[in-house]
Amino acid sequence: MIRSLPNALGALGVAFLLGFPLLYAGGNYDYVMHLWITAFFYAILASSWALLAGYGGQFSFGHMAFMALGAYSAGLLDNYVVLSSHATGTCTEIGLFGSWLVLVDPTGVSTSAVNCLQQARGVWPEGVTTSRLPLLLSILIGAGVGGGFGWLIGTLVLRLRAAYLALFTVGFSEILRAAISAEVWLTRGQAGLPMSPIFPEGVTIFGTFYASNAKLPVYYVMLGLFLLTLVILISLARSRIGLFLRALREDEDAAEALGVDTVKYKRTVFVVTAMIAATAGVVQGHYVGIITPNTLILLQMALVIAMAVIGGLENVVAAAVGAIIISFGLEFLRNDFIIFGERVDMSTWRLVFFGLLLMLTLRFLRNGVIHGGLLWLERRAVGAETVAKRRATPKSGTEEAK
Amino acid sequence: MTITLEANDIRKKFGGLQVLKGLSFRIEGPELVGLIGPNGAGKTTLTNVLDGAIKPDSGIVRLNGQRIDPLAPYEVARAGLGRTFQVTRAFRRMSVLENLYVPAMAMGRARSPRDCHDQAMEILEFLTIDHLRNEYGRALSGGQQKLLELGRLLVLNPDVYILDEPFAGVHPTLMATIYKWIQRVNGQGKAIILISHQMESIFTLCSRLLVLNYGDLIADGVPSVVKNDPAVIEAYLGHDEDMSGTGMVSLKEDSHA
Repeated sequence: MIRSLPNALGALGVAFLLGFPLLYAGGNYDYVMHLWITAFFYAILASSWALLAGYGGQFSFGHMAFMALGAYSAGLLDNYVVLSSHATGTCTEIGLFGSWLVLVDPTGVSTSAVNCLQQARGVWPEGVTTSRLPLLLSILIGAGVGGGFGWLIGTLVLRLRAAYLALFTVGFSEILRAAISAEVWLTRGQAGLPMSPIFPEGVTIFGTFYASNAKLPVYYVMLGLFLLTLVILISLARSRIGLFLRALREDEDAAEALGVDTVKYKRTVFVVTAMIAATAGVVQGHYVGIITPNTLILLQMALVIAMAVIGGLENVVAAAVGAIIISFGLEFLRNDFIIFGERVDMSTWRLVFFGLLLMLTLRFLRNGVIHGGLLWLERRAVGAETVAKRRATPKSGTEEAK
Repeated sequence: MTITLEANDIRKKFGGLQVLKGLSFRIEGPELVGLIGPNGAGKTTLTNVLDGAIKPDSGIVRLNGQRIDPLAPYEVARAGLGRTFQVTRAFRRMSVLENLYVPAMAMGRARSPRDCHDQAMEILEFLTIDHLRNEYGRALSGGQQKLLELGRLLVLNPDVYILDEPFAGVHPTLMATIYKWIQRVNGQGKAIILISHQMESIFTLCSRLLVLNYGDLIADGVPSVVKNDPAVIEAYLGHDEDMSGTGMVSLKEDSHA
């Protein structure tokens, strides 16, 4: 019964999430939807990081960097690659099935500079249409870039373990942040790279039109991505890959000596989780409408790690649920309260409470709140079974388990 | 086909220290070979070279005629050489059964745990730890973890087994199980290299001894001859007579007998 409980809860949870935007009748609709979209985004990151760190033992601080690589890839495509029905004559361009693929020259943060596309627009006849690349294509490219860097980092850290791996990935993340901040001409640096909405022209779902800034379509896009991520992660975790990842987390040399190609599986988990993070970055970037180097600060990465740790590092679903709960919790903790006549400004103090929760979890529930609870039930059952089995076979000549 | 493991002029240097000084030997299944030598003789380094974890500076290792010295450890394992570690390396946060699934699935013999469950249970029963099948590796005692490692090797089912100190810190009742394990593997025609400081077990079990000292193979032969070899006695006892408690006293007494 205990084993089927998580499945039933999972099905119930998915049904709730699918129906929520249609049934929610409370106030602040857009705000509540925004909270959910953000929660899904963090849940994707936390659960994929849980596969990397919890299963594979690769305690990487580079996950937000992969996310940012996806977001910036899509952002650069969005800003500098345009499909046009008419040649510009001023930009680098190639003809493609009757339309033109135009590479726009970056002008950085300058307000006076005019790029080649703007020049062309000045002389174009009426009726010329331009559009960005299809969203699905930029998701694929973003995921590809993320996966490529995942392969690179996975290869570079093959010989690194524990603290060395963590520091290496911090270095990678910081280099990326510094490079993005520095290359203002291309990335617009701290000013951030603007990104078009997920559905720039709005979208019609079952006969209802939603404008480009409507939350409901984005909710379902992010939820879809979240559920797809969970399906991928769960099936990986339950497959032989999950078994090998846990084995190499426990003891790389022993796994290798038993025939496990540890190099291959370490790389695989880096590539897969980097692709997932990058995909989340593409969608989130288009949703928020801007991507800045600040998404790469260490605190953001620490937030994702804390979500996974509090939920349960060694269980991708627990990490995801942890991320959703923390995501909402941090939002609700924004409400100030008064204690001993003193007003507590929760906009800053909430992080203190959050840090405290993290410390308590690490000290007392190292398997996380959710996964730790499930594990406790499971281990108790196993312990009872072991004792029963041992009593049934008294001739067993082994020492007793401690 | 007879199982063969051949090492030809294996050399390995760590910094300025020549750890292996050109070792050559040949082992055939179902031989049970004891590899002994004082601490620092190069036993574990030799194991790591045979296993592929360390690349030799020069020399060739062949398993059943196939060169294995350039291979990665997982490829060596698949080629048919399995080993245990001096310090037990059970997968601590995986169940006992999952510990056994790893080699079965890594070798491609099972696509899912269901395929290898029966074999794993048979092995656990043989090792008398079947009641612990769902416990985490870390819940097992030190001796039971040794048995678990031997169980994983049975699943891997290589041609040559290298056991690094299988008896260290093991209770006599578990020792009997390990003896039983050795007989089972040997009975299948497999070759075993046994590294141990427990001379009693070595002399009881092994039909041949390789003695290492400072990276040199100083003796190779049947135990009764090897233990009277002056070079071996010198290596173990040196000129220091106070060697009580090292397990080598019996060797010295035997040599006088």
